[in-house]
Amino acid sequence: MLGRGVKRKWSCLEEAEVVSEARQLVLGLCLEKLQRYQAGVELSLRRSVLLINTLRQIQEEMRSDGVGSCDVHPDSCLLRDDFREDVTVTCPGCSEGESPPELPSQEANGSDQQKPPAAVSDAVNAMGYLGDLALDDIFEDIDTSMYETSDLPSAWASGSLPQSHSTAGSLQSCLMDLNELDHIMEILVVETHLVGPGLQNGFSL
Amino acid sequence: HKVHDTDIISTVEFNYSGELLATGDKGGRVVIFQHEQESKNRPHLRGEYNVYSTFQSHEPEFDYLKSLEIEEKINKIRWLPQQNAAHFLLSTNDKTIKLWKISERDKRAEGYNLKDEDGRLRDPFRITSLRVPVLMPMDLMVEASPRRIFANAHTYHINSISVNSDHETYLSADDLRINLWHLEITDRSFNIVDIKPANMEELTEVITAAECHPHQCNVFVYSSSKGTIRLCDMRAAALCDRHSKFFEEPEDPSSRSFFSEIISSISDVKFSHSGRYMMTRDYLSVKVWDLNMENRPVETYQVHEYLRSKLCSLYENDCIFDKFECCWNGSDSAIMTGSYNNFFRMFDRNTRRDITLEASRESSKPRATLKPRKVSTGGKRKKDEISVDSLDFNKKILHTAWHPKDNVIAVAATNNLYIFQDKIN
Repeated sequence: MLGRGVKRKWSCLEEAEVVSEARQLVLGLCLEKLQRYQAGVELSLRRSVLLINTLRQIQEEMRSDGVGSCDVHPDSCLLRDDFREDVTVTCPGCSEGESPPELPSQEANGSDQQKPPAAVSDAVNAMGYLGDLALDDIFEDIDTSMYETSDLPSAWASGSLPQSHSTAGSLQSCLMDLNELDHIMEILVVETHLVGPGLQNGFSL
Repeated sequence: HKVHDTDIISTVEFNYSGELLATGDKGGRVVIFQHEQESKNRPHLRGEYNVYSTFQSHEPEFDYLKSLEIEEKINKIRWLPQQNAAHFLLSTNDKTIKLWKISERDKRAEGYNLKDEDGRLRDPFRITSLRVPVLMPMDLMVEASPRRIFANAHTYHINSISVNSDHETYLSADDLRINLWHLEITDRSFNIVDIKPANMEELTEVITAAECHPHQCNVFVYSSSKGTIRLCDMRAAALCDRHSKFFEEPEDPSSRSFFSEIISSISDVKFSHSGRYMMTRDYLSVKVWDLNMENRPVETYQVHEYLRSKLCSLYENDCIFDKFECCWNGSDSAIMTGSYNNFFRMFDRNTRRDITLEASRESSKPRATLKPRKVSTGGKRKKDEISVDSLDFNKKILHTAWHPKDNVIAVAATNNLYIFQDKIN
């Protein structure tokens, strides 16, 4: 028995989730395209700039929408058809002081729901970091001929600096704590599930 | 049929008189077609274009410093105005521009007495008579020879070249810089635009096309990946980083999407022959701008608006990054641009009528009239219409050219060149 108030919450919910789903899809595609690397062929600067601008735009939207508190968990939900029913969601429009709406069949996803929202905001931060890294790698390599064109995923996989880098500089920031590296690899593997197999080239966990 | 990558046509350009038509391909070759004289027994038909000259303009190179291959694909060809019997054109790949001289030889000098029968030079002291060689006719030979090579001036990929109206200089543009050259001088060029930021991480915009004004040799324009056009005056400063005019149409907030910036990226900019207007091509439309009005175009033509709802798929398969060119007819009354499924579109600026035509073997029998095509956008598909989902996105018409005087057009469909003509009444 659903009252009018609950119906309004539902349509607000659906809209936010559709946007979020679309965002995740485009985000995943962005990352996939940025990481695609064809040996021996120079990346198109125009294409890279357009991809990175799109990525930035999505990150901005996610940040301004307060994605940390309102989003589906990427792993569990998008694999299911009826993900909307499984996850607790509050969208900014509805959640002032209200508790999350009651949803049917909640118990199936108990363990996932226990995951703290911090994990999602970490993902957003990681995306931001990833965006910067992608920038570093792509632009540094095109700009200065001191650096060899390095494949970002393989650099991570091997965990070492490409030989030809002569300065620590901003490329040093590519080297991170092993913890952070694992964390980001985890997020990226999550992202590969969104867009299908084939992203795992170059990743080795 | 296996289409060899190297046969894909990458540029098409008529010369100033329309007598010659040049194409460049992915394999670095240039093929020039010549208009044959109308045949006397069929005066109602224009003459045909036949192959005049073929030569290898660019070869693949290897940049050892970056471990990258430099493609031999010809990005652009631009003709020089004809000054003598020979023809000159500029052809460019990603990094190097070359000036080619195409000349005819239909006579041979014969009767030299300076060599023996076996070709060895005779000892001068043994030549006792003066013999003047005689010019004898020979089979026509068309020779192409490289006269200038303009190299090492572009770090990024060259997307445009444009000959100036002074016929002495030309500009070349890559993603971040524009250089001005003198046709006689190859070891030096002037950098006139540089949008490279000090920190490459701040890069958000690249140069996508540039062109010299057809009459004012101090004026040129360049377009960007953000959908803007800047008009610069070379008299104002040596480095034209500050524009004289800035053309941008305000964005329609109701149509904003993730792909708004990508589809606003301008892929081609062309001045009208009159020099009063310019035309820009972005992913979905063609816009005509009055050079005196910077805040919006005076005309907008939708090329394939039915693709707007398919942008996500087109992003996925990379088609959204395709760069379509556009062109004016000789009198600036019509414009033409390509689309997918081997379709190309023509717009009449006066009557506002438009037509969609197809460049394919099936629909182009010699002497047959092209049938207009239509893409069905609604639910109900009429007979002879093609639905959006049936379009072949691998068959893209990126390069088209219009004869400078007559109603003759050249359309490049992957590895095939189509030349269509109006019937003369």
